[in-house]
Amino acid sequence: MSALILISVLGVLVLYVGLFGRKDMLAPVGILGVLGAIALFATGWHIPHELLGGMLEFDGFSTGFSLAMLAITLLVFLFGPDYYARMANNVAEQYALMLFSLCGGILLTAYNNMLMLFLGIEVLSIPLYVLAGGKKYSLRSNEAALKYFLLGAFATAFLLMGIALLYGLTGSFDMGVLAKHIAEAGTGSALLRFGIFFVVAGLAFKLGAVPLHFWVPDVYHGAPTLVTMFMATVVKMAAIAGFFRFVDITGMPDPLARILVLLTLATMLVGNISALRQTNFKRLMAYSSVSHAGFMLLALLSDSGTEAGNGADVGRTLLYYSFTYALATAGLFILFIIAKRANNGDEHHQIFRGLFQTKPWLALCGLAMLLSLAGIPLTAGFVAKYQVFLLAIGAGWLKVMGFGVLMALLGIYYYIMVARELFMASEEPVTFTVSPLNGLVIAACTIGVLLLGIWPQLVGVWA
Amino acid sequence: MELLALILIPLAAASVLMAFRPAAGTARGLALASTLLTFVLTLWLWYTWGGETVIGIAKDWVPAWGMRFVLGYGGIGLLMLLLTGLLFPFIIGTGYKQPVGDAALVNALLLFSQSALFGVFMAQNAFLFYIFFELSLIPIFFLLLYWGGEHKRAITIRFFLYTLLGGLALLFSIAFLTLQTPAPHSADFTALAALDLPMDTQLWLFWTLFLAFAIKMPIFPFHSWQPETYTMAPTQGTMVLSAVMGKMGLYGIVLFLFGIVPAGTAHWQGFVITLSLIGALYAGVIAFRQDDLKRLVAYSSMSHMGLMSAALFTMNAYGISGGLYQALAHGVLMVCLFYIAGMLFLRTGTNDMGRMGGLKARMPRLALLFMLVVGNAISMPLTQSFPGEWLMFNGLWQLKPWMALVGIPLIVLGAVYMLYAYQRVLLGTPGETAGLELHDADGEEHFLLVPLIAITFVVGIFPNTVLHLVDAPVHQLLNLFPPLP
Repeated sequence: MSALILISVLGVLVLYVGLFGRKDMLAPVGILGVLGAIALFATGWHIPHELLGGMLEFDGFSTGFSLAMLAITLLVFLFGPDYYARMANNVAEQYALMLFSLCGGILLTAYNNMLMLFLGIEVLSIPLYVLAGGKKYSLRSNEAALKYFLLGAFATAFLLMGIALLYGLTGSFDMGVLAKHIAEAGTGSALLRFGIFFVVAGLAFKLGAVPLHFWVPDVYHGAPTLVTMFMATVVKMAAIAGFFRFVDITGMPDPLARILVLLTLATMLVGNISALRQTNFKRLMAYSSVSHAGFMLLALLSDSGTEAGNGADVGRTLLYYSFTYALATAGLFILFIIAKRANNGDEHHQIFRGLFQTKPWLALCGLAMLLSLAGIPLTAGFVAKYQVFLLAIGAGWLKVMGFGVLMALLGIYYYIMVARELFMASEEPVTFTVSPLNGLVIAACTIGVLLLGIWPQLVGVWA
Repeated sequence: MELLALILIPLAAASVLMAFRPAAGTARGLALASTLLTFVLTLWLWYTWGGETVIGIAKDWVPAWGMRFVLGYGGIGLLMLLLTGLLFPFIIGTGYKQPVGDAALVNALLLFSQSALFGVFMAQNAFLFYIFFELSLIPIFFLLLYWGGEHKRAITIRFFLYTLLGGLALLFSIAFLTLQTPAPHSADFTALAALDLPMDTQLWLFWTLFLAFAIKMPIFPFHSWQPETYTMAPTQGTMVLSAVMGKMGLYGIVLFLFGIVPAGTAHWQGFVITLSLIGALYAGVIAFRQDDLKRLVAYSSMSHMGLMSAALFTMNAYGISGGLYQALAHGVLMVCLFYIAGMLFLRTGTNDMGRMGGLKARMPRLALLFMLVVGNAISMPLTQSFPGEWLMFNGLWQLKPWMALVGIPLIVLGAVYMLYAYQRVLLGTPGETAGLELHDADGEEHFLLVPLIAITFVVGIFPNTVLHLVDAPVHQLLNLFPPLP
């Protein structure tokens, strides 16, 4: 709780720092605050506790997810001063909005009550609508903000509808009561089925799961790249955490499983197929995020509830998967911005050409992160995918998993296409300027991805 | 410890080359020294081997998934280690006369792949096997991408995806198998081999496993990546692919299919042998029609691999020992043939046999070396391939005589296309390239080819030096197989 308060206050504090015109102090204050929140969470690790009369429940899962999201936010903030160096006004708001959004994300990892679910989604989303339009005079950025807002509003309405139906069924917002009702009365009632359907629709929208993914490429493409980076990493983690809690606490009733299978198959298929022909790197990463959502859904699909089944395993896998995905994605986005600057704002993936000639270590870092996203052994992405496949086999989803394996192959194709560019010679000489701090962040992401890949127990989740 | 050294020595040498990018001469020298050191190490392993499975190192990695870092070798693994250790110095040596690109990078990539290949042949845990299996691919991918010939990008990507498809199928199977072991799960080969899987599982599991190895070897109809990749790749890359990496497929078949799903293998035996023989004949016919020397060698490699696969799947002592023995012979042969193709390319600037002809008058020593290699390629008695071929046909005959009969045109075909190629390149009326400034094979080239040719004859006359390695393991395997109906 104290961490949650700290982050909210930190957001306000950052706004005040901006008010007094100390642009140079914004990132340091933000980073210190995030470090403080990490410390607060880290000290409370392994001590489950309930808040607000049981509406929030911080257990190992939510603490782990919160820590991971904070760590990624830290990376985003470390890159912030560089990214916003050329922006004169309203920088403080950008940091503050990200912090507010993060608060929503933390709520999503820990809710035990559907009101908190709704609150979390809203607190997570509303700052993002503003952030997506961060480039005031860019047509694409405005398009992104408007699309995101309109579609997001619809999704919220769906979610609310679902919550209302479930409330009508049980007379309570409490997830525990819902789970008990399902266990006792079965899944026959239409209220329950429609309720679950609508709630899942709302959550799937946030996660960017097919067929509710149409906003993803446009918003990722149009939003300022740092915001895209934040959305592709922290927001994704929050969404999957929220989804997991809903599935896990309800114990995967039958109608939910049926929706999830379709979602998983569609997401893996559409995400990977659409990514194949992308040449704009941001859109490619957008579809890559959809396809990774598909693999995370596959893990989710294998869940049979913490009480009775493998819920704890699924939670750990999702944490590991989303964290390592976020690490690689964050590093690649920074690399992308560096390359984009070197090529006068071009976003085609050919901008990476010549990187190996001029900055070989950077190219190798990029390769490691791309291979991790593709799921090649000795990287964290491989361990993550393997664990997902193990879960799916264990839960008996053999055919769905076989399909996933094929889709993973497609995934390797488009990541390798980018990796190829890293090592191609460029026609005209390009100078990539990398500040030491940026180099350090990229190196940290790479080391994280490799270390977690070679030694998965490092995060302490698999004993 | 020496097992770990086999992986670490090339890895360290490659890292040094990558980090410091020394000049070409130093880079080749370092790479050659490292490969010679590993060769001596493999010889030492051979010399001290007592006939049983040796486990050198065993450490837990991720116990929850049965993933352990276990290195060791039995007779079959040792044969593969010897093959890798023996051939890599020659592959590195090829770079002296036929250099491609940046010597430091090329040699670093070759050494990385050697390190991974040693890993594949020593891994005693299926998961570890898979990791090395995939890692060996990545350096080759870059080698092809950078220094390949025409259409290199499209061909490289196709090759990469093809092999990864097989790899993922393998991963799927390993994951499935691991979960079948009693808790706590283990992916060690011993644990997997102890599984008594029900027949219907074995029937489909056979295919997901077979796919990986069939693509790697390659076996018809999973071969379509191979001829183009071999032709386009720089000579050293082709050598690694054909001489060593293809053998991962053979090794995998013995390890996974025979060891873990013997009943499934026995069920599909006839079908796979038919496929392999069709592929062998088909590749032989195509090889005969080639004008491009490198492509001809590529198809001849596929033809040989088809026969080796057919022999392995006979699942009798003759067939399996013949197939494994032939793995070494085929490796040596491929290095020789691709080296000679490279020598000719260096002199004439083409691989097109239509533009060669009558070169023997200008290069008598090269012609002699080529003749000796061709002798091995068509399995003349006293060469290394002869005992292998004899064993393989014997194995096929024992299973079904018609299978051995199908093989007879194969022998004829092999002789025809190799001798025809020899004739077109070296004999007859001088072609348009005969007028070029051609110099005969020089000291360095002899230095590389003569030891390899010597090996072909020594092993050809004393095949037991190699065969005794696989003797015990093959009989152990035979005990696993269900009795034939």
